[in-house]
Amino acid sequence: MNPALEEQLATNVYYDRTFDCEAAKILPGEYYFTRKEMLIVTVLGSCVSACIRDRVSGVGGMNHFMLPDSGNDADSPLSASMRYGAYAMEVLINELLKAGARRENLEAKVFGGGNVLRGFTTINVGERNAQFVRDYLRAENVRITAEDLNDVHPRKVYYFPRTGKVLVKKLKQLNNYTLVKREQDYASRLKTSEVSGDVDLF
Amino acid sequence: MADPNTKFLVVDDFSTMRRIVRNLLKELGYSNVEEAEDGVDGLAKLRAGNFDFVVSDWNMPNMDGLTMLQNIRADAALSKLPVLMVTAEAKKENIIAAAQAGANGYVVKPFTAATLDEKLSKIFEKLEKVGA
Repeated sequence: MNPALEEQLATNVYYDRTFDCEAAKILPGEYYFTRKEMLIVTVLGSCVSACIRDRVSGVGGMNHFMLPDSGNDADSPLSASMRYGAYAMEVLINELLKAGARRENLEAKVFGGGNVLRGFTTINVGERNAQFVRDYLRAENVRITAEDLNDVHPRKVYYFPRTGKVLVKKLKQLNNYTLVKREQDYASRLKTSEVSGDVDLF
Repeated sequence: MADPNTKFLVVDDFSTMRRIVRNLLKELGYSNVEEAEDGVDGLAKLRAGNFDFVVSDWNMPNMDGLTMLQNIRADAALSKLPVLMVTAEAKKENIIAAAQAGANGYVVKPFTAATLDEKLSKIFEKLEKVGA
């Protein structure tokens, strides 16, 4: 497996004084899930996050990804984009199921896909990401109970998986360039890596 | 490429992933493909129809891919069936467990048609040698 592509469990867990609970901060290409009373937080530009939980048991988690640019065949179900997106979603859902969630109880809230990297490519990356996550969840029969997608502003998303509550802050003014830079780094990391996993043991 | 009529069973709980694998197989020239959504469904279909090849996910509800593989190997009628594991699990212990259970190959998601093709060819090649 190409390490640049592998979805990583977020490692940045801290105590959030504002919400008075443990919090996990996730970056592009990461995900986090928990059974505990805690907060998962991320900042999204053109990337998307799916916040998915079992509405009965309260096991829930969040991912944060974008589709790699796969050129002309971007919308083909076989494109690197689609395969990577499906992978990013599957990793989170698999972890939730392993942690005891039941597929029929899953509900999702989806955020991001802002057109914040304007001029970065000719296509609207954010819109593509947003469309993907919607289509994917529909195909997999996971109900979307809330969404805040597209637009031009980055968002800070606070997710409380136990209750399913989400707080979204639109960042109308970026104090620095970190977010855009981080997403561009992530995008180029995806672009230079071939979307392919391989193991030779047999 | 092996016989284009080779009958595949694709076992995965994500319909998106079943569609991707089905399309990749089609791209490689194999269009005789059926689907199952978990290990229980997979085993039932394998026992009912004469399949030549199984491509299976690992993590699935009801019965996971590893358990299904163990059941296949323990069933006299199915024990020789080639099984390729296609999974998001990249951990060494998973790969070793799959090998010990008798998987014929292991592909980590996300993968390309080329990777799948290479694995399939390798498996068909080995089977031919054994058969010869």
